[in-house]
Amino acid sequence: MQQIFDDIRGDFRYDHELNGCLNCGICTATCPSAQFYDYSPREIVQLLWTENVEQIYDAMQEKIWACAQCMTCAARCPFKNSPGGLVAIMREVAIKHEMQSAKDVLRPFGRVMLKLITTGNQLSPDMIQPDHFPDWGPNIQKVEGDLRILRKAIPVKTLQTVETAWEVSLKTSVEMYTIWEMTGVLKSLELMDENLFDVIEDFIDEKREDYEDWLEEQEEEDDE
Amino acid sequence: MSEQTPGNHNQNGEGAGAGTMKPGYHNTDGQGIAGHGSFFQATDLSKEDAIKATDWVRKHVDRRTVDLGDRMDDVREHMYELEKDGQIIIHRIEDQHEPMSVKTLFGWDKKVPTKQLWHHKSCGQCGNIPGYPTSLLWFMNKFGFEPGKDYLDETDQTSCTAWNYHGSGIGNVESLAAVFLRNFHQAYVSGKQHGHELGHFYPLVHCGTSFGNYKEIRKYLVESAELREKVTKILGKLGRLVDGKLVIPEEVIHYSEWVHVMRNRIASELQTIDVSNIRTTAHVACHYYKMVHEDAVYDPSVLGGNRTAIITSTAQALGAQVIDYSTWYDCCGFGFRHIISEREFTRSFTMDRKIRVAREEANADVMLANDTGCVTTMDKNQWIGKAHNQNFQIPIMAEVQFAALACGADPFKIVQLQWHASPCEDLVEKMGISWDEAKKTFQEYLKEVEAGNIEYLYNPELAYGGKV
Repeated sequence: MQQIFDDIRGDFRYDHELNGCLNCGICTATCPSAQFYDYSPREIVQLLWTENVEQIYDAMQEKIWACAQCMTCAARCPFKNSPGGLVAIMREVAIKHEMQSAKDVLRPFGRVMLKLITTGNQLSPDMIQPDHFPDWGPNIQKVEGDLRILRKAIPVKTLQTVETAWEVSLKTSVEMYTIWEMTGVLKSLELMDENLFDVIEDFIDEKREDYEDWLEEQEEEDDE
Repeated sequence: MSEQTPGNHNQNGEGAGAGTMKPGYHNTDGQGIAGHGSFFQATDLSKEDAIKATDWVRKHVDRRTVDLGDRMDDVREHMYELEKDGQIIIHRIEDQHEPMSVKTLFGWDKKVPTKQLWHHKSCGQCGNIPGYPTSLLWFMNKFGFEPGKDYLDETDQTSCTAWNYHGSGIGNVESLAAVFLRNFHQAYVSGKQHGHELGHFYPLVHCGTSFGNYKEIRKYLVESAELREKVTKILGKLGRLVDGKLVIPEEVIHYSEWVHVMRNRIASELQTIDVSNIRTTAHVACHYYKMVHEDAVYDPSVLGGNRTAIITSTAQALGAQVIDYSTWYDCCGFGFRHIISEREFTRSFTMDRKIRVAREEANADVMLANDTGCVTTMDKNQWIGKAHNQNFQIPIMAEVQFAALACGADPFKIVQLQWHASPCEDLVEKMGISWDEAKKTFQEYLKEVEAGNIEYLYNPELAYGGKV
């Protein structure tokens, strides 16, 4: 537990985000999540400020995942604290320590992560379909026509895609993979969801091979 | 109508003291409410003291107060020092970008380039609400901008990845910084293949999340030599350093800032439709004006400077009615993770705090926003409200889409309203445009698309680096 707190406090952003607390409650008064969950940005600040390690650990089991990261708290705080920023640090530390709360909470988010890490986009037209969002109602598309044709009707070439938000060059995706590896993002993902990690790794290997093949083709064309 | 309307904030002190709040508000028993923690105790303020406290909040929090204290550094000053030391290269906004100057919350001058823009797309907008980027490009064409010279839209860019980070915590400052620098390096060098100098195109960020994230990350990069050292290794490996240095933009510019500075030209040169009968409300993205809030654009002529100027200023310039409402400061309920996996929070918040209020208090014809998450949240979550007898509906779109409609753009081919779940039909009709006619034309056009006869706003080859 102490290590978890030390990791939070050791983040270089910590001193940016926590400057003391007047306990005025403006952050909680305007926090959307505080209206729906047992969550209070003021409580997060107080816990960290008073260094109650056990309660900090408890908060990381569930409460920190309620934060909507809107940063209203940060904009309002007279002391220039950022409870939302502290939550971001705590989430990263929860993942680093493989906390079960993080695994449980993030499971439904897997599809977005898969899309992001493999394509460099996060949301694609094929994800915005009635099957995935029945509560969004029948009018997700207001005209008749299949998704592929409707996307082709967008007068911007880069957007005429279905599986990504815009067409992303292969080179771009491969550069992203290097960033994920060098910054430990893939490692974090492996800690959270090994199956998802395996799927992503296979995808990355395939794309890298495609890119190598493409480079070779280019060289051959240049030689001719 | 609620007593808590703008300018009349709970003036009778109702709600002060234990047990005095009305049903429908929280804290009916004075014993603390969810969200305050077990240590919460009611203050038992007298009505007079409660009014005093509320006044303080109204004066200092609800209304804008300009804090020009020494505590807030201007990050740009530090960037100039780093550049002088030979540590970074600043991608500057030059005269060729034809910038216009605006004031930010802290009274700083911010240059907004109007030309030679590199469209940094938004994964949410492009995947879900493509009428944002199409309307924006349509405006650029209308102003005579030449694709490949005055703007560029290409495939060599990623999302900022901040949606994932804020939603899941997977990612870190280093990865966000590397993505930021990679994309902005690409913007810096992107003109080369079209025969332009380095820095010809300046990045125009479409997404509110990206805008906030990039500015926050830029601040960390400028402050932390350690972070710069780490990401320099990564950018070096990617071949994305210039003379061995990181390229950092002088300003981070949001598309709605471009619309803001162009609003008078849009209204005077391009507007064809009178929108004076349209009641507009604005919802500005949290990550536009709450993250790195000192940099958000304010203008004393827009709602007294008490709200950030963008969106509202455009509605004003077009001559629409601008209606304020009491929950203007609330977020939309997107929550990054929540819209995927905590949907009951997202839809309850957006219905209770935004849609219902805009409908009941403002009787709005439309809610204008400037971010993909906000439009998605407020647009898509209205239908399910019926299950709880919340039959409040209101069209939601970006201000640039509304402006394009006012300038005669086709509601389907350009503004792409067919992707919106909210009821846009009545608004379009109220503007004097026939929804049914436009839909019929579009259905005919879809047959052409199927046959391969596709219309483009620019030469499609440009997207792949091809010449004009």
